[in-house]
Amino acid sequence: MTEEQVKILLEELKADLQSADSSVAITKLWHKYFSDTGSFKLLIKKIKDLPAEEKKTTALIIQQAYKEAQDLFTEKEKSIKGGEMSGNIKSQSEDINPIAPKIGHLHPISKTIREMNELFTSMGFSIMDGPEIETDEFCFQRLNVPSDHPARDMQDTIYIKEPDYLLRTQTSSIEAQVLAKYKPPFKIVCPGKSYRNESVNKSNHFVFHQYQGVVVTERANMKDLFGTFQVLFKKMYGEDVVTRYRNKYYPEVEPGVGPDMQCFNCHGKGCPLCKGVGWIEMGGAGIIHPNVMKMAGLDTKKWVGFAFGLGLDRWVMAKYKITDIRTLLGGNLGYKYYENESII
Amino acid sequence: MKVLYSEIKELVPGLKASPKEVGGALTLTGFMMDGFAEVSHKGKKDYLLSLEIRQNRADCLSVIGLAQEVAAYYNLKLNVPAIKPISKNTKKLDIKIEATEETKRVLAIKIDGVKNIESPKWLKEYMSFYGLNSAGLLVDLSNYVMMLTGYPSHLIDFDKTEGPICWSMNNSFKEITTLLGSVTKLNNNEIIIRDNNSILALAGIIGGKTDSIDIKTKSIIAEIAVYDRSIIRKNSRSLSITTEASRRLEKDLDPNGADYAMKMLVSLILKYTGGQVTSSLFNYYPKKYVSPKIQFDKELPSKLSGIEISSKDTLRILKGLNFQIISKNNKLTVIPPTSRMDVSLSEDLAEEVIRIYGYNHISTNETPCLEIVKNITPKNIILSEKIRDVLTALGFDETLSWPLTQEGINDKFNYSNLKEITTQNSVNDLFPNLRQSIAPGLLNQMNEYFKKGVEYIDIFEIGKVFGEKNKNYLEHDSLGILSATKNNTLPQFKDKGESLLRLLGFEDVKYFESKSKPKKSNPQSCWDVFVNNQNIGILYKLTPSETKLNIYFAEIDIEKITKLLVSVNNNPVVELTQKLIPLDVNIELDEGKSIFEYLDNLEKKINKKNIWSINIADIYQIKEKKRYTLRVTYKELSDKEAKEIHLKTFGLNNI
Repeated sequence: MTEEQVKILLEELKADLQSADSSVAITKLWHKYFSDTGSFKLLIKKIKDLPAEEKKTTALIIQQAYKEAQDLFTEKEKSIKGGEMSGNIKSQSEDINPIAPKIGHLHPISKTIREMNELFTSMGFSIMDGPEIETDEFCFQRLNVPSDHPARDMQDTIYIKEPDYLLRTQTSSIEAQVLAKYKPPFKIVCPGKSYRNESVNKSNHFVFHQYQGVVVTERANMKDLFGTFQVLFKKMYGEDVVTRYRNKYYPEVEPGVGPDMQCFNCHGKGCPLCKGVGWIEMGGAGIIHPNVMKMAGLDTKKWVGFAFGLGLDRWVMAKYKITDIRTLLGGNLGYKYYENESII
Repeated sequence: MKVLYSEIKELVPGLKASPKEVGGALTLTGFMMDGFAEVSHKGKKDYLLSLEIRQNRADCLSVIGLAQEVAAYYNLKLNVPAIKPISKNTKKLDIKIEATEETKRVLAIKIDGVKNIESPKWLKEYMSFYGLNSAGLLVDLSNYVMMLTGYPSHLIDFDKTEGPICWSMNNSFKEITTLLGSVTKLNNNEIIIRDNNSILALAGIIGGKTDSIDIKTKSIIAEIAVYDRSIIRKNSRSLSITTEASRRLEKDLDPNGADYAMKMLVSLILKYTGGQVTSSLFNYYPKKYVSPKIQFDKELPSKLSGIEISSKDTLRILKGLNFQIISKNNKLTVIPPTSRMDVSLSEDLAEEVIRIYGYNHISTNETPCLEIVKNITPKNIILSEKIRDVLTALGFDETLSWPLTQEGINDKFNYSNLKEITTQNSVNDLFPNLRQSIAPGLLNQMNEYFKKGVEYIDIFEIGKVFGEKNKNYLEHDSLGILSATKNNTLPQFKDKGESLLRLLGFEDVKYFESKSKPKKSNPQSCWDVFVNNQNIGILYKLTPSETKLNIYFAEIDIEKITKLLVSVNNNPVVELTQKLIPLDVNIELDEGKSIFEYLDNLEKKINKKNIWSINIADIYQIKEKKRYTLRVTYKELSDKEAKEIHLKTFGLNNI
């Protein structure tokens, strides 16, 4: 083996590497030069057969050439495989779709009910429902409203079969159902639809939503009722909400309470929204009337309760800036593609 | 009810509070001030307070009643003016009371020689505060007494009457011309005042034209009566006539207070119109109202309010409201004044104490101290919330619609065996029926969206649907889902619905050709939805509409799936130690044969222990048959074992 032959082999390798353009070609070259039968591997193997006088010099030449060949090969291999990898990444890459996916929305009434439910369940209340077709007994009589009571004027009734079957005029009927069916103590809230015989227009509807709360324990009182209201008002309207509680008449409670919130529009000065009085009526409440408790078979010496009812629709309209009550029950209520007001 | 600040001050001489403060105090104690105006009265600056009067406080539809409240709140003395008794006369009036059940009390007296001249300026001014036009001195004085005392009075021109005056139930007059000149048809069950020939008044509501006072009136009968409130309320509502008189008399008005009102009326008539009393006072009062005696626990106001209200304050407040207190053997008996017909229970007394003490003394900033109780929330409510979450995550928007529908709508969408329920008296008479399906509401919403160019119409509603069976009115919570699209297909819609059911925990979902198809459904694409072999709803494509959209609707009975959910015990977790082995098989079914039925039978005979999934990989129509490629994926088996089971299950060993 002459030094010249080694040089020729090295040049041959360089030429082959020059023309190699794929990982397949480079693999073939590896077999040609570096496998057990490859040219450079054979050269290395021949060292041991060299005469002793040549061994020292020629072996060094071969080893240097072998190392140079390996370096040349590795460099080319890296270059080809690296190029191929970047080509693959590019061809398999995907762009982000700039169009936002459609998401679904809860109805504002449901959303508000859910917010309130979350608050009350965190306070240990259960959520209840009841029939919308009610009897006179559960809608009125068990709530201390006999047939000739003036309070019935406040509630024009839609009858299914007069006088016994009707569409509930108030969610208090759920209170009457729960009082009759469950043993105290209990704390419940009951969101639901109520019906009144009113013509439908921008401000009135025959269907509306109420949120009823009832607590019957051995020591419920007005301070707890006010405290409960205050927690609710703060949750719904913020920490700075200003409220007042005044005496009000409802046949199913005694004492009765009218919770008011200072008008958020005029801050108590009086404006068209609050009809000039500076306060907005938020519902009705009070200590459950002993007659209501007795009709449910409860011992009024042991059990005492408070109840409250809130109209939901106006809360929701104010919160979501809806000006026509009819919008809440279909038709004009639309949901934007995006949730965030600032996007579109 | 409106009241002048000067009137309150005259009756409560020690009052120092400003007009607005008085309005605030009345608001707090149950009479919300909903109007406040500066006015001029008797040449002086005054303030007119408009107050909302509680339904059960007829006594406060009067200046004196409200002044009593103010006096009690500020712990001041009420100074009701004393009036001389009516001068005695022995001549009896010819009056009959036939409506004895409905009439609690009648006071009447004859005054002759009156001059019904123009009212003085102060009285006209006073009437204007109440929105009343001056109608001559006599009528104005009658109204003035009503405002002061709360008792409506009726003046009859005696010379226009014939024969005795009688309070009776109407059974002969078809109509009345009221003193305002309007003609009202009668229903023949009103309480009326009449003479031999004519109807003189709708008792407690409005006077008639026949006997009305005019400028020539010389001789009058003045009457003040109190009735059973329910008859006045009933008549007022059925005749659609509401007056200042009916507003007062349809509430519980103390018959005893009529004496004072009559004395005031007579004294004012004599003072301003001349004339003299020419009869004895007719007094029909068969059953005198006596206040109840209430045993009262002084601790009750503190117990109900949650704050400490001392016995001293309790007694002071009750006395200030003119309640009589008898203390004997450490027990308290309280007797309310007869004007307080709303007070009959110990709790009523507690309310009186707490409201005058002031709700503003009850802390609102303390965390409510409520005891821990059992959660009794029914499962259907929890399930409905979960449904809302899943459907919004699947891109559906929630809507709410009218539970009342138009005539004929239920007929198009009903698929239950229940009868339609109709309301009897809805003022919205175009929508008389309760819905039997959620579909019409969602379809209306879809049409609105379509008209307005809304592109994505994937909507749902949860609400009650109604029906009658064997004279029972039934209702249940129902979920309706509607998708209106140009491109999507029924299988895609079904997948969304089924995803919902599976996420709720139901795996065994099947579809069979519907047994009761709504008229609006495409009969070829209408399926009953089954879960755990129970029909829980319906899924169908609607018949083509003007929108040219593909409209799909599904409805699920939430109460049914709530019951089913209780029995579901899902565990979707497995330990996977070997690779899954998918093997296909082709099966052919005749047209009309249900693949779900086939799969149902397959599930019964296959060993589920080694099954990962069964899917339909392909469907191919061959003439009268359908070929389904089922892909059964086996788990925890070797290739050989899986193949053996597969061949055996599908009878492929001989092929």
